[in-house]
Amino acid sequence: MNCRETIERLYTFLDRELSEAEVAEVQRHLEACPPCVNMFKFEASVKRLVKRCCGEERAPDALRERVQKVLRQYP
Amino acid sequence: MAETLEHTREQFEREAMEHLDALYRTALRMTRNPQDAEDLVQETYLRAFRFFNQYTPGTNIRAWLFRILTNAYINRYRKNSSQPRVASLDQSEDAKTDRTLAQSVASDDNVEAEVLDRLAAEDVRRAIEQLPAPYRLAVLLADVEGLSYNEMAEAMGVKKGTVMSRLFRGRRLLQRALREQAREAGIAKGVPAG
Repeated sequence: MNCRETIERLYTFLDRELSEAEVAEVQRHLEACPPCVNMFKFEASVKRLVKRCCGEERAPDALRERVQKVLRQYP
Repeated sequence: MAETLEHTREQFEREAMEHLDALYRTALRMTRNPQDAEDLVQETYLRAFRFFNQYTPGTNIRAWLFRILTNAYINRYRKNSSQPRVASLDQSEDAKTDRTLAQSVASDDNVEAEVLDRLAAEDVRRAIEQLPAPYRLAVLLADVEGLSYNEMAEAMGVKKGTVMSRLFRGRRLLQRALREQAREAGIAKGVPAG
């Protein structure tokens, strides 16, 4: 697999949408190609950044209680 | 009948309530406002309960709940002219030339990952909130909530190919916005504007 084909699989690789065989193909290319590794690392780090900055938030307790109350009053 | 309703309610609460945090987080980024997010989530749960008979037990309730959230969001903000409509936005974007990722990545002067890592969480959230709604939702569902492309297709009510193109564009736009934030924060040095 060349650089173009590898980069085309960048997001499907990071999003775990590839088969085992496809993952292995991508990894084989990455082992021999530092520029592609950099690109993959960068994209992975942005993905982690988004998760870290948005993934910690919890619903307020008041909302949980309100939703349960509304459900119990339905219909 | 009353017993049936009570049984349904228990089953619904058992299955659906565990996704409250995920729905709230997503609603918060989509509405950009805690009060609106709470209202949207409450509406989502009420609708989901009302249509719970249409949900097939054992299938993916998370994707189903996100679908209801997405629809509620679209219905709510379609009336608001300040929010771009999902459908029209997609069409205009699809009309543009669809560069391959390789070309696009190569043409972008990516700042170092370490630079972006030094951004405050609040700045990152602001950059995400700047994204047009369909792209923002795609990025959130993939990167924050970890949905698969198939789950996202269900949650967003679009084909898998559309999920992928929205993710692609959303990520490109987000990286551009993050570079902008880094520049404003004075973290990135020597990166030309524009």
